[in-house]
Amino acid sequence: MNQVVDHKPLLTHEVGSLDKPGWRVKAYAGKPLDDKDLEEARTWGERLQVPEYERLLDLLRHAPFSKEQKAELQRWSSLYAVRLEESAGLDVVYDGEQQRTEMYDWAVSHANGFERRGSVRAFDNKYYSKAAVVGSISLGSPFHNAEFSYLVSVAEAELKIPVTGAYTIADWSFDERNRTPEKLLQPAAERSRQRKAARRDFVLEVARNLIRPNLEALIKLGARWIQVDEPGASTEADELDLFVDSFNASVEGLNAMFSTHLCFSDYNLFFPAIERMEHCQQFAVGFANYDSRELGTSDEARPGYHVIKKFRDLPYKPALGLGVLDIHSDFIESPELVRDRVLYAVKVFGDANRIHVTPDCGLRTRSWKVAYEKLRNMTAGVRLARQQLGLPAAE
Amino acid sequence: MAATRGIDRGRVGADAVGRAFADDLSAFVRVQKEAGLDYFSDGLLKWQDIFRPLTEALGVKPHILVRWFDTNTFFREPELSGRLPGATRPDGVVVDSSVPRPRVTTLPSPYMFSRAAHTDQDRNALMLALAENVLRPAIDVAVAAGSEVIHLEDPWLGYSGIAREDWAPLRDALTILHRDLKATLAFHVYFGDAAPHLDQLQQLPVDAIGVDLVLTDVKSLGSGWNKGLIAGVINGRSSILESPKDLVDVARHLADKVRPRDLYLSSNCELGYLPTPVAEQKVQRLGEAARKVKELVSV
Repeated sequence: MNQVVDHKPLLTHEVGSLDKPGWRVKAYAGKPLDDKDLEEARTWGERLQVPEYERLLDLLRHAPFSKEQKAELQRWSSLYAVRLEESAGLDVVYDGEQQRTEMYDWAVSHANGFERRGSVRAFDNKYYSKAAVVGSISLGSPFHNAEFSYLVSVAEAELKIPVTGAYTIADWSFDERNRTPEKLLQPAAERSRQRKAARRDFVLEVARNLIRPNLEALIKLGARWIQVDEPGASTEADELDLFVDSFNASVEGLNAMFSTHLCFSDYNLFFPAIERMEHCQQFAVGFANYDSRELGTSDEARPGYHVIKKFRDLPYKPALGLGVLDIHSDFIESPELVRDRVLYAVKVFGDANRIHVTPDCGLRTRSWKVAYEKLRNMTAGVRLARQQLGLPAAE
Repeated sequence: MAATRGIDRGRVGADAVGRAFADDLSAFVRVQKEAGLDYFSDGLLKWQDIFRPLTEALGVKPHILVRWFDTNTFFREPELSGRLPGATRPDGVVVDSSVPRPRVTTLPSPYMFSRAAHTDQDRNALMLALAENVLRPAIDVAVAAGSEVIHLEDPWLGYSGIAREDWAPLRDALTILHRDLKATLAFHVYFGDAAPHLDQLQQLPVDAIGVDLVLTDVKSLGSGWNKGLIAGVINGRSSILESPKDLVDVARHLADKVRPRDLYLSSNCELGYLPTPVAEQKVQRLGEAARKVKELVSV
């Protein structure tokens, strides 16, 4: 039975990652810090009113760092990120993966059965690491427990924990369980059938043996809202049923609120497959990347949001986490632009309770300055929308 | 990777990025030499996607980020609305001078380019305009700089197919590229089964057709191939290393049964989906297989 978390209309939250501060990256890598790094820590500590941030500055002046000191620096980084989001006015927060290497790498490095293979380009100058599954998959150790325990202790706002989903982990991995290369002289149809069967086994094994036990561990610690990140979900149009099966296998029968994050896809592809995802209570989806920057709430003014009608019509009535910030650009969306995107969505849904407001995706590719300005304008835009809709102002 | 990430975040300078690219290119050339490849590529290491040097030459702004077929990579949709300008300086497609000859230059096919772009124009008219104003100037610059093979990538046709009425404009566009060309022009279909298109593909005005043999049945190639054949036998989407013996068996089958005018052994798609160490091993396997096939032919 999934837990139902009662949320106010136009709830705001982040989606996942934030950039890691230079002082955290350098300190962790054992590289020397300079005055600029200390100034960054001081400036943000002051701006975000991070309690006792002077202790961080003092710590940063005492390189090299022991293993325990590096862990302490990661926690400082988490605290800064949480305060950044709270200061921007978000209702639900997270630490932007400050304690994780990266969404994929962190998961597979805590799993049995995987070996790292290297990095490949995702887009522009952005890369992601890839591993290969070489044996039976299982959870090495719960890999978000320490992070969650710390965040619970410092977050003042409600907390949401993102977890990379089974389909994405499988999709971003190579499958080397059977190292025999395909024999190209065999019929292509037979080779294709074998590939599909192996793929299904792989995805569902990740769901059952890696993701689900990790979710169970988080729930045991008290996690109430878990976001299953599936940026890879629509990669293969003919595997959307498999994506849904993997989500259901991961969460079915667990007691928490589950949402999922989808991004940078032709979202039409998800229908009708996700009609079977009744355990998903919110879809956080990136739309701003596809939208115009002009103001307006007409269909013509909001070309990036036409597909939201399909999310509205899902039989189990999930909320829609409406992506209103383009995370691939330093363009700062104005509060008015955010307002109009939100008003358009409320008009389409006819129910503000089903609209949550988010960036398109994690803001890891933006500087903190840009991310902060975007998030502040997002919450300001939601305030404008609330006014226009006659909703009570947020507390 | 670290250098480009650093420059994006203002942590390193352009010099460091330039040095890193030069080191990577040098390593990739060494791998190709050691593998004994016949044509050399610069691996498009500086290209952020297959369209970028061309859109930069056009002076147009890259549009939104779009998924590259069924991969976890993305490209910037070329913004080609309105009248297409001419490519003023398509130098970005020129293979680096440190790459040995003979060289291969890889470019998007006019069909894929016209379909992947964001445009308000008729896509077949855009295809012809891209061939005339962008791709042909780029090819001429590349050939003048020493490229002997122009390799046109077309995953769009393989993945999404092509309407019957689009073949004629595609032939016209390729005619523009092939006219008086002093290099081999190849049209490579991948990310899909080429079998349904083989009759039409063999009528295209190019010197060689490339086929993704991971997704295309070898038997569908028939016999009496009337052009060169680029056989995509190395799987660029899988980290499993191919067996040189299997590759030799496929090459022998193609040579004996399909009988193309020229047979090129290649990967089924670009190797950018593989981590560099895996891609390098695959290049070595490709070279090893090609060497064995040549020995067999010479016997």
